[in-house]
Order: sequence, then structure tokens, then C-alpha cells
Amino acid sequence: MKKIIASLAALLLLTVLTSAQAPSPAASAAQGRRQVSINGQRVRVIDIHAHATVAEVAPVVKGTPYERQAGGRPLGPDRVALIDKQGIDVQVLSINGFWWWEVKDRDLADRIVRAQNQGLANFVTQFPDRFMAMASVSLQFPDLAARQLEDAVAQYGFRATTVGGHVNGEDMSLAKFDPFWAKAAELGVLVFMHPGGAENIIRDNALDGRGDLGNIIGNPLETTYFQSRLIFDGTLDKFPNLRVASAHGAGYLPSYLQRTEVACVVRNNANCLNKKKPSEYLKTQLLADTMVFSDEGLRHLVAEMGVGQVVYGTDNPLNWPVTVDLVLNAKWLSDADKAAILGGNLARLLRITS
Amino acid sequence: MATRRHFLKTAALAAAAMSVPPSPSASASQAAQARRQITIGGRRVRVIDVHNHWDMPLPAEIVKGTPYEERMKGPGLDDRVAILDKQGIDIAAVSVNDFWWWEVKDRGLARAICNYHNETLAAWNKKHPDRLVGMASIPLQFPDLAADMLQDAVTRLGARAVTVGGHVNNESLSLPKFDPFWAKAAEMGQLVFMHPNGSANLLREGALAGNGGLGNIVGNPLETTVFLSRLIFDGTFDRFPTLKVCGAHGGGFLPSYLGRTEVACIRPGQKCIIKRKPSEYMRQNILADTMVFTEDGLRHLVAEMGVSQVVYGTDIPFNWPAPVDYVLDAKSLSNADKEQILGGNLMTLLRITS
Repeated sequence: MKKIIASLAALLLLTVLTSAQAPSPAASAAQGRRQVSINGQRVRVIDIHAHATVAEVAPVVKGTPYERQAGGRPLGPDRVALIDKQGIDVQVLSINGFWWWEVKDRDLADRIVRAQNQGLANFVTQFPDRFMAMASVSLQFPDLAARQLEDAVAQYGFRATTVGGHVNGEDMSLAKFDPFWAKAAELGVLVFMHPGGAENIIRDNALDGRGDLGNIIGNPLETTYFQSRLIFDGTLDKFPNLRVASAHGAGYLPSYLQRTEVACVVRNNANCLNKKKPSEYLKTQLLADTMVFSDEGLRHLVAEMGVGQVVYGTDNPLNWPVTVDLVLNAKWLSDADKAAILGGNLARLLRITS
Repeated sequence: MATRRHFLKTAALAAAAMSVPPSPSASASQAAQARRQITIGGRRVRVIDVHNHWDMPLPAEIVKGTPYEERMKGPGLDDRVAILDKQGIDIAAVSVNDFWWWEVKDRGLARAICNYHNETLAAWNKKHPDRLVGMASIPLQFPDLAADMLQDAVTRLGARAVTVGGHVNNESLSLPKFDPFWAKAAEMGQLVFMHPNGSANLLREGALAGNGGLGNIVGNPLETTVFLSRLIFDGTFDRFPTLKVCGAHGGGFLPSYLGRTEVACIRPGQKCIIKRKPSEYMRQNILADTMVFTEDGLRHLVAEMGVSQVVYGTDIPFNWPAPVDYVLDAKSLSNADKEQILGGNLMTLLRITS
């Protein structure tokens, strides 16, 4: 996880250096805001997958072993310029390194999370019509996580929260994490899952080498495993109101659904606890972002999950191909479907009315 | 291993239950009646199965007194043609796929094991020349010997392809030490059929245990995905551009979730050495079997790879739902496409003329 954080920080820095060569942010913001419309009708674009770091955490971790992990460049006006340029109307920010899940001191863990949530709230308040934020929680202390989530919703009006694929190697389908899932379901808070290279699954260095496989394969693998556990261990049945959106097209699970779909029938050691077929969770409780990078990949994702389960995601500020035009140019989607994927689904889930 | 043996036993029991005949003559006429003949648009087409296992038992004279004595146990192949008859398969390309013999350190023993596999498959081919063909087993832990034995299996014993696993004692098959094998396969135009075994080379101990049978459901496509990714990113296909490698279970996750792999090298900081885009190898060097089980999964596979790269596979004698019908009924395929996928592509690749 540390390695991933380091590369995330390096990429953040790279993005900053690149965007520093642009004219002034103010000028580009004024000229450069892309307004997305479909057949002349303005549609709202909402981005579920946007990484953030906030300056408020640094004083909390100063002098602790976590001083350096809290690094990275904090949110600033350059993010407004970036979403203007990319045609994003509302970006839902989240802090996704989950390094703070390793913190054993309960009080420190709580203070880190509260600083993160306060920092996100501070930024969102400056641009209330452009940004929303997801609550960070201390999931290594499930009861505390539930309370933090409740507080973030009450204090700041957050409507989503973010998790990784495991808590220090432990599956999030374990009963000990139920207080968190119960709270998210009770509050109607969308859970956004972001992986960290499958370090819970893959042996050290097994994906090293050419092709960046630690990211290219590790990330969708962790996401696939995470959702498979929620399905097969019965978590989604325990909390039928739960909605979990996963990064990068939800990993391999929806795009290669069929082996999972037949698992409980074909494998006589599968011990499945799920009450429904895996595909039924994919059409109701699980969502995926659009980060599959090809017209055919997106078509297949929508075919397996349904239009209502696919939401727009960019991975800002990291350097991945932007997929807004993939949605706009998809000949196989109706205008209504395009509007749903680009923003309508998230407007409903996040209760964005205006 | 225990799981696989259990499955073989289950499959054998099922086969035994099916074939309790009132009398031998009645059985013969039943067999004659039971052969399913596949036609498309009224025309008989040939169905060829690339993914057909045999966990072949070895004789005492080879393994007695070695650590591999338990390999004397294993199922026969007597019922195989009846299974093919029932499922409408005309020709099965049979292979031995556990690759346990790649752990053998004694060169003579490794040679004897593979030689026995290859001679036994040749004998079955002789017995049913129009129904069964064999894929060569090779001792890939000795790459030069593997190349020699591939040549021998093809020229002396009539093997039509060769089979490999996803790693050789945890080593990637893209390492230059294995080039003598790839060079021979390319030179002789031999199809290489890759079959995974649960990603033992990649996973932390017990990482995919638990409900859902994920060791198979996720572990198998993962191993295939990493194997094919390394052949791409480490330049193996560039060194041997005529190579044809077929990945089991729809080529793992790779073709169904191609987008992330496709953009890997255009991201900053990568040291890619590949000469073409990953999707181009998918359309030339890589093939996948049809084991994706649903209509949209198959449509997606064909869209990403092309009709020429998808071949029929069943996983016989295991009980995966991969009937001929799911290709026959696919609305996304033309009659010509169906014929190619069910047999036409493999007729060329396996040099089946009649």
C-alpha cells in the first residue's frame, strides 16, 4: 500500500508540474469551462472517482510514523480548472490511500479521519455547486467508523463514503465490519470502493516488471475479490439497501461476470451464502464507474449491469484517458441513457436536486 | 489438487451412471443414436474442442519409487468418445494440464513422463483418428529438452498442438530462458494451449479461500491474464510474431477487460518495449476458448478479438455449462462466424483436413 501511495503522490506532483505550464488558472477557468450537452440539452456531469489530499491532516500526524504518508499536494484552485476543462459539473472528492487504517491508536485514527473530513468540507464549502465529498472512516475500529460516518453526514452533509478492498488484509465481509455496513445502509450513504494494488491477495513483487501490472491487474483484481466477498459471504443480503460503487468499471467482475455467475452451481465446494444470483446484485446493489476506456468495453459493462448501475468516473487528477466522450459518442445508448450515466444516476444516489 | 481429483471422481461417477446399459448391443445402438450432429442452416459443420482434459495415469515402471507414485491413479479415456457424441463434438484436442511434472528435477524422469503422455495420446488418436487428437506434453523446466520433445511429438507421434501452464515453478514463461521452446513452437506452427492452475505463482497462501470457490473462479482467469500480459509486455510475441497462444476460459480476464491493458503504456513513467498495441496481439497471436458462458460475454469476446481468435472449448470432463448451443444460439454471430468458432478456426490451427 505504501508503494501505491508513493506513486500516487508522484503522479499528483507530475500533474501539478504539467498544469503549472498552462496560463493562469483563472484565465483558463474563465475561457475553458466545457459545458456538456446532448442534442442541445445541457446535462449535468457528475464524477464519482476523484482523488484528493487535504492540508488539514499534516498537523495531526506530525511527529508520528504517518507523517509522510499524509503527503501529496492538497486540493486547490487547479482542481476547479481541471474539472472545468473536462466538462465535469460536480466532482465527488474522496481520500483513498487508506494508510490511516493501519493506525493502531484509536484516538489518533479518529483525529486523522476527522481532519480529513473537515478538510474536505472546507474545500467543498468554497465551491458548493461544483464539489461534494465522501466521508473517510477508521474502519480498523468498526464501531468508531460507524460513528464517524454518522457525524460526517450530520455535520457536513456528506452523502457518500469511501473504502478500500480490505482492512489490513482482512475481508470487509467479516461480521466485525457489519456495524459500518449497517450504518451506511441505514443512512442511505453510497459507498465508493477504491483498490490499492491487491496487496492482500498478491505475494510481494509477484506483479513487478513491465506493463505496470501491479496497477493494471492488481487494482481490478482487488476490486473483483472485494465484491465477490460481499456477494458470496452474504453481506449484500444482510444489507439490501446498501449501494456500493467500485472504481475502474468495478474491476473484472462485471466484464467477466459469467464464471462468477456459475460458481455456486458448478463448484461443489463453493459454499455460497448469497440468496440471489451474482448478476442480480450487479443490477441492483453494485455500481461501476465508466473507466473501461473503449466503446465496446462500455457497451458490455452496460449490457451486464444495466444503465442505472454505471456512473461517470475520471480518476482525477491522475493521468488516465477521459471517458466523457466515450459516453457521448456511444451509438448504442439513448440520450436518456447517456444523461443517466454521466450524471443522472449519481444525482439520484447522492440526492442532488438543484 | 484435492479439488480437481474430487471433480474428476464426480465426473467419472456421473459418466458411469449415464452408461448403465441393459445389454452391450442395446448400448451400442444407444451410442449410435446418441451422437449429436451439428448443423447450421441445414449444413453439417464440424465441432472441435480445444479444451479437453485428461488427468492421465502413469505406469508403475515410470513413477514407482519416485515421489510421484500417486500419479499411477487417474481416470481412463474409454468414455470420452461417448461424451463427445452426446455433446455434438466431432473432435476433441485432448491435453494433460496439471503440469505437476514441471517440478521433476530429474531430466530422464521428466522425459519419460512426457514421452508416455505423448505416446499414449498418439495411441488414442490411432484408435479414434476422426475423434481424438493429442496435444504434446513437454518438460518446460528443461527448455532445450522441451523444444526437442515438441518436435518429436509432432513429427513422430502426430501431436497437433502443445499445452503449457501459466508459470514454470513460479517463473514467467516470458523469460529468455524459455525462448528455445517458443522458437520451436513458432517454427513448427504449433498452437500453444495454456491452462492455468489457480495462480499458485501469484497468490498469498490461502488468499482466495472461503465461499464462492474463488481459487478457481478468480484464480484461474488471473493466472491466464498475468501469463498473457507478460508475453505481451515482455516482448515474447515480438520475438516470435507467428506464435499462436490460446488461453483457457476465454483467455482469462484479459480480452473481456482489455481497456486498462490497452492504455497501460501510454501512461507516464512506463518502460514498455512492445512494438504494437496490446489489442493487436489479441487479434493475431492470442486466442481464447468460448468458456464465458453467456451470450453477451461471447459477443464481447468476439468484438475484442475477432472471430478468427475464438475457438470452441468445453473443459470436459468437468461440468461447466459450455454447450455447443450457446454458440449456435448467439444472435450476434453470423452462420459463417459460428462455423469458424465451433470448428473452422481449429481445423486450420490443428491441421485437420478431412
